[in-house]
Amino acid sequence: MTRYLLAVSISIASLCSATAQTITDHLMMPKKDFCTGFMYTHDQWKDYWEGSLKRDNQNIGTLTTTQLMWVGNYGLTDKINLIAMAPYVKTSASGGTLVGLDGIQDLTLAIKYQFAEKELASGKFSAFGVGAFSTPLTNYTPDYLPLSIGLQSTTVAGRVTAAFRLNEGWYASASGSYVWRSNVSLDRPSYYTDGNIYFTNQVWMPNQFTSTYSIGYHKNALQTEINLTQQNTLGGGDIRRQDMPFVSNRMNFLKVGVLGMYYLPKPKNFAVRAQISYTLDGLNVGQSFSVMGGILYTFHFANKENQ
Amino acid sequence: MKLFTTRLFAVALILVLLPFSCKDITGNEALYPYVPTNVDANAGTWLPVVLTSNNQISVPAPTSTNSAAYLSELASLKDIQSKLTSDQKKTIEYWSVGGVLRWNQIFRKLVAQYNLPPVPNPDGSYPIPDAENPFSNPQFPFSNPPYAARAYSYVSVAIYDALKAAWYYKDLYKTTRPDSPYEVDNGVQALMPKIDLPPYPSEDATMSGAAAEMLKVLFPASVEEITKLAADQRNAALWSGRATSSDITAGLNLGKSVAGFITAAGTGRFRTDGMGAAIGTPAQWKAFENDAIAKGEIPWISLDVPSRPPMLPFFGNVKAWNLTPAQVVSERPLPPPSTSSDQMKQELAEVKRYASGVTREQMAIVHKWADGAGTYTPPGHWNDIAEEFIRDAKLSEVRAARAFALLNMAMHDAAVACWNTKYFYFNPRPTQLDPSIKTTTGIPNFPAYVSGHSTFSASAAAVLSYLFPQGTTGFNSMADEASNSRLYGAIHYRSDCKEGLSLGKRVGGYTVNYAMTDGAN
Repeated sequence: MTRYLLAVSISIASLCSATAQTITDHLMMPKKDFCTGFMYTHDQWKDYWEGSLKRDNQNIGTLTTTQLMWVGNYGLTDKINLIAMAPYVKTSASGGTLVGLDGIQDLTLAIKYQFAEKELASGKFSAFGVGAFSTPLTNYTPDYLPLSIGLQSTTVAGRVTAAFRLNEGWYASASGSYVWRSNVSLDRPSYYTDGNIYFTNQVWMPNQFTSTYSIGYHKNALQTEINLTQQNTLGGGDIRRQDMPFVSNRMNFLKVGVLGMYYLPKPKNFAVRAQISYTLDGLNVGQSFSVMGGILYTFHFANKENQ
Repeated sequence: MKLFTTRLFAVALILVLLPFSCKDITGNEALYPYVPTNVDANAGTWLPVVLTSNNQISVPAPTSTNSAAYLSELASLKDIQSKLTSDQKKTIEYWSVGGVLRWNQIFRKLVAQYNLPPVPNPDGSYPIPDAENPFSNPQFPFSNPPYAARAYSYVSVAIYDALKAAWYYKDLYKTTRPDSPYEVDNGVQALMPKIDLPPYPSEDATMSGAAAEMLKVLFPASVEEITKLAADQRNAALWSGRATSSDITAGLNLGKSVAGFITAAGTGRFRTDGMGAAIGTPAQWKAFENDAIAKGEIPWISLDVPSRPPMLPFFGNVKAWNLTPAQVVSERPLPPPSTSSDQMKQELAEVKRYASGVTREQMAIVHKWADGAGTYTPPGHWNDIAEEFIRDAKLSEVRAARAFALLNMAMHDAAVACWNTKYFYFNPRPTQLDPSIKTTTGIPNFPAYVSGHSTFSASAAAVLSYLFPQGTTGFNSMADEASNSRLYGAIHYRSDCKEGLSLGKRVGGYTVNYAMTDGAN
């Protein structure tokens, strides 16, 4: 019962990582390269935080969300990348009687700009700004948590990332993002949340701040990394005792993730990517464990023109 | 150059983000101040619901408007008005939309706040909310639909009876205290709509007393919030120049006495209506099961995990407002299709079709009317619907109180008749007969036949159609939609919905009959 979805949408952002050029990382697609592929994620939880109280719920059992996401990243220049993502999401609960839902969720479009780069003797410092926009592609309901496939909010996010990479391949990066979220509409004329009743179908969505820290190794065809992601929702109510979760709940979490990416020597231009992540702590979210795997292909348009 | 592009990027980002930083919710305040089209000066002659007469509770005569005591009250009032803070002005504004409408919103909020089922104990049993221990776990009350229906009816009736008594005394003392403070003294401002009624006793104070005393009994853990709201309403009446302190004291005492009469230990209607026995005992619950088996039927079982005791199984014996116990029994629908019949198989197959193929539009209807845990319940939804009709008709406080009292008496009676039917037949939910049926809303923890939503909604539509005939088509189509939502959600058979609508319509008719003879027409 919990907003496991938000958790998913955050991981959506970090899922992309096509050739390692995701919204959150410190890597860029070269000019006129286009990397695209699909990522499959299996995410499940049994325990969740009802407010700050960790519990399970036999009327939910284990909540499973699977997601197949298309990703694409195009190098407009070496320093400006355009990124797009769109997932298909499916939910189900092993306990209780509530039916799971499925459908196409939100489109994310982002522009990533490397605005600083400095070569040092021992390595390279770089900094990035990302502007991201996401909006629902279908009219799924956000008012059926934890089985809704998304929150139905249109968002605009600003992100700054800084990274330092040693010449040997070790790197560390930190990234922070502020997410503005539009209000959402429910199918019902009234709702109760955070100690108040509202006589409208409009729900105010608190904004969010997310930070990601990673340490990894990237050299030649291999990238591997361990990362921590903290999401803080800047407002919103807690799930009340024995209540259902609500779209504007204060959904916070701290997740740890391990990712690996490898550019296959053959067939050429293919890469595989895998990530696992686990929720260490949270508020109003499920303690999810997720496994993601994907395959990516890179088109080198510039090279073709040259040939 | 690099610095420039960085700044450019930052500026562009801010410009994109700005439109999103402001996102006030629109439409949350449906109410606004109005002057009633008719003040209903004769409401002191309308029939009381619970009181034996409108002058059952005595109100002392006021002092005249040229007495020293009254003039001193006026002086104090002018002093207050000269120093109003912005918070005080907000309080006036909040209550200026009409106290009856405001209190109705407040008790919808309280119902939503307390409408959460107890959490199971580690051993799989469930604690029972205890009125004597409302602050502990589980919180008291669990304001589920029957509890809420009864609560809405008592608060609405207490306010309504108290206001008719206030109107009686306003008329009785109109020569001694004919005018409101702002009419007596030009120096007093009227900061709320001017109502052409004698100010003594204050109707705002009367309803504050009646509403708060009833709500404190129904929602004891919220005593602090309720007490503050009631004091705010009285302060708003005073600060706005509508009433002096003696108008308010008289009204408050009257309102509290009316609620006190209804809730008096051992004798009050609220204490003797059978609610105390509505939960029953495990042996009694077992008897329902045995009776169903003896009739050759599959008995209802709870689909909650762990299995939860049935919700208020003896609520069907709670006293109704406008039906006698014999009428509750005689209105009980005929039996549902037998659990072993072909008709039941067909109805189950229909539910399954909705379960596996509900459209997005149908799901929106399911969620629009679900009104499940954590909400103001179906009776609250119909109060919400009534609100705008009362506002648009610009009803006086006493006539607005009548509208809510009639509506909520009918829905309480609907709850009684529906619960009586549910536990008489003890019929299983579709998912119990076919566990492959998954639902798009929670399965309520009580038997299926007949649908509570259908019964509540049809009784509400009957009363609202009587009060606001221009809305009849809309009320009936809303009732039909609420009823269908339970079939779309795969938690009710078609028979439950159809017979529930029919029962609700008949039950609502009893309150309409009462309304036609209550002297308010």
